[in-house]
Amino acid sequence: MAQAKSQNKILTGNRLRNGETVYYTAAGVWSPYVAEAKVATTPEEADALAKIGAAAYAANLVIDVNVIDVTPGGAANPAHIREVIRATGPTVRADLNKPVTPPQR
Amino acid sequence: MAVVDRNGPIADKWTRLADDAPVPRAASVIVSFARLKNEHNSLFSTAAGVGVEIAGDVNLKELEPFLPRLGVIVVRFATMRDGRVFSIGRLLREQYRYSADMRAVGDFIPDQALFLLRCGFTSFEVAENFPLASFKQSLAAYSTWYQRATDRATTVRDLRRENAPSGSKS
Amino acid sequence: MYIYDKFDHTITRERVAEFSQQVARRLTGELSEDQFRPLRLMNGLYLQLHAYMLRVAIPYGTLSSKQVRKLADIAKKYDRDYGHFTTRQNIQYNWIKLEQVPEILAELASVEMHANQTSGNCIRNVTADQFAGVAGDELEDPRIISEIIRQWSTFHPEFSFLPRKFKFAVTGAAKDRAAIQFHDIGIQVVKNDAGETGYAVYVGGGMGRTPVVAPLIKPFVARTELLSYLEACLRVYNLHGRRDNMYKARIKILVRDLGPAEYARQVEEMWPLTRAAGVDIEPAEEARIRAFFAPPPYEKIAEPVASFVDARAKTRAFAQWVQTNVHTHKVAGYGAVTISLKPIGGIPGDASSAQMHAIADLADTYSLGEVRVTHVQNLVLPNVKQADLFAVWQRLGEIGFAEANIGLVTDIIACPGLDYCSLANARSIPVAQQLSERFADLDRQHIIGPLQIKISGCINACGHHHAGHIGILGVDKAGQEFYQITLGGAGDETASIGTLLGPGFAGEDIVGAVDKVVNTYLELRQAPSETFIEAYRRVGATPFKESLYGRR
Ligand code: HEM
Ligand code: SF4
Repeated sequence: MAQAKSQNKILTGNRLRNGETVYYTAAGVWSPYVAEAKVATTPEEADALAKIGAAAYAANLVIDVNVIDVTPGGAANPAHIREVIRATGPTVRADLNKPVTPPQR
Repeated sequence: MAVVDRNGPIADKWTRLADDAPVPRAASVIVSFARLKNEHNSLFSTAAGVGVEIAGDVNLKELEPFLPRLGVIVVRFATMRDGRVFSIGRLLREQYRYSADMRAVGDFIPDQALFLLRCGFTSFEVAENFPLASFKQSLAAYSTWYQRATDRATTVRDLRRENAPSGSKS
Repeated sequence: MYIYDKFDHTITRERVAEFSQQVARRLTGELSEDQFRPLRLMNGLYLQLHAYMLRVAIPYGTLSSKQVRKLADIAKKYDRDYGHFTTRQNIQYNWIKLEQVPEILAELASVEMHANQTSGNCIRNVTADQFAGVAGDELEDPRIISEIIRQWSTFHPEFSFLPRKFKFAVTGAAKDRAAIQFHDIGIQVVKNDAGETGYAVYVGGGMGRTPVVAPLIKPFVARTELLSYLEACLRVYNLHGRRDNMYKARIKILVRDLGPAEYARQVEEMWPLTRAAGVDIEPAEEARIRAFFAPPPYEKIAEPVASFVDARAKTRAFAQWVQTNVHTHKVAGYGAVTISLKPIGGIPGDASSAQMHAIADLADTYSLGEVRVTHVQNLVLPNVKQADLFAVWQRLGEIGFAEANIGLVTDIIACPGLDYCSLANARSIPVAQQLSERFADLDRQHIIGPLQIKISGCINACGHHHAGHIGILGVDKAGQEFYQITLGGAGDETASIGTLLGPGFAGEDIVGAVDKVVNTYLELRQAPSETFIEAYRRVGATPFKESLYGRR
């Protein structure tokens, strides 16, 4: 699989309180579901995400904050396998995996 | 900056003297180790009290000749992870028999103060916003210890010995 | 086993209170993440990819059935119903919430357990031979000195902020089942010429990116002088170990840079001072701790045990299992059972809460209530009567842990790798699973004979790949998972570091490559009794290189 080149980026971290992997959304909240992440398509937008991440870290909401690459496929498709696994769970425990979008109620 | 000991804030008579500042009379000054080495004669004869600041890479052998006349030794943490400070404290007390004030400064956090006391430190130079409540709480965290250290605090083994039925146990 | 007295309980309780208070200060923001990280690590709390991970100490790998049940209950209540047993005889939970850690620690404390110093730059959990106390070849139960070291190193005021982590391992026998020469300090129980029991001290071993086999620094230290000697070893390191570069901060680098002789000299110079400081253990206290490890009340049983002989003759699968999974016991009529946490296609070292409960029940019914954890990520029932082995085997079969593969090619060590670990380059577990499937045929495994495969997902070497007869190291090649193969490592008393064979293999090719290595061995061995590592040591890497990469 060739790495798709893309400038698209999303902001992610883990919630301080419980360690849950979360993504910063367009609604300005942190969601466990990667497909809900707000996608930055320009370097300026990526900088803005980084600033939001730094502020959330300083406010003790999230830790291990990073702006990561996603493929042109959208937020639900992080570029690196590490981030794919972070978004959905261990590949060796399908029973513990989480969806990329919130389950329908 | 403020100075605290195990009971809380204390009045501090020491002032820092920059390497190029003249030695004031009748004041107690803390100088760099370099200055102490170069000017110990005039320092000890002029100032009311002399202290020195050292860091983790210090050669204690070089400091040894001055120890009996020093009123305070300040040991600096390069970062909070600079664990050399603990060993230096023990060596100064246990090997070199230094007995005056020994003070930690730098990036340490309140939770490390207890171990510093156990290693022979007596005071701490801290920022004005140092969380005193946490400091006090952390000093009270343990009622006993597994191992003997410089402070000679009561250890679990002491307690077990006292607790053992007398005459029994070989 | 060791039982806490009121003072041990007090300290453990005080520790729970202290850490709970630190968690509270983190949650209010009084402590920043930078300040909290070293504190949480000292309590075995990491942040991994999906959540926090909590590493609970299992000192020298010994557990009571009650403790196993507690570990199971914690898995169910606070995690996702399973735990991962590690090569350092600890257990890790992968889905922990920071806010619940104080509660978990309180639960652990109720069964004399803790997570003290399971990470961070301090003295870590002391590991020991899993057959401590039951192996016929041991001079002394290594858990005695391990418990003494555990107590001495707990909240050590001087050595809690070392340049880097610090790991001890102890073996009580000349046969090293604890990989002592791959530890910062390895201790072997020995006798001197006068017939007194004491300790040989190896310093400066380790894995990671610079694997080193520890040199012998002190051939004999008397029983009641070891703590002051160790304190001198640690002080020299604490003062002079490198702090400028995390990758050069382990004691192995200091010992290498100074040279073992000069390091030993500096320790000798420091020793009188640490002796005078009064850390050494008094004979009475040594005897108190020793008494906890006195042999349990074994029955007098004459061998051969007819029912056991009979069952072996009748049931081939049982006989095979006995051959690989039952270790000779020093007491006649007993055996030590290794429970394989390596079912074919399974995740090495993982156990569900139901499985843990079943094992605790087995321990109570058949093993005097005791369980051990091995550094190969298996469990042990140390005291099973031979007459009960068949029943134990059957029950283990029901919970999926009766694979007769101990020491064989599917008894694979694998670190969590990229499925969990934030430092990983590549996944380890799926490689272990696929290899296990590939070599599933038990008869073929027995034909191949003793062979240890060890897999790490990055150069930190948590999966001991350097010490694997076949080591597999995950690397990142332009964003893809790649795997390098090393051959010839060993973690026993013939410790050696594996040699890299050549360029790495893609995920889909690594299993085939290992299969080729194994086939090459089968072709070139002189007799079925010549093991993989013996054959490798005889012929070297060349034939294996040629079979993987062709002649150059
Ligand atoms: C999943 C989270 C883990 C993290 C973040 C982690 C981190 C590390 C790091 C950074 C090192 C290298 C230390 C150095 O070279 O100085 C290391 C080494 C090691 N770890 Fe882990 N580890 C993890 C899990 C494990 C597990 C599951 C095991 C047991 C299976 C383990 C056992 C070891 C061992 C035996 C070493 C080699 C010790 C040595 O270098 O002497 N670790 N780990
Ligand atoms: S070897 Fe690397 S990938 Fe594996 S657990 Fe250790 S740090 Fe993680």
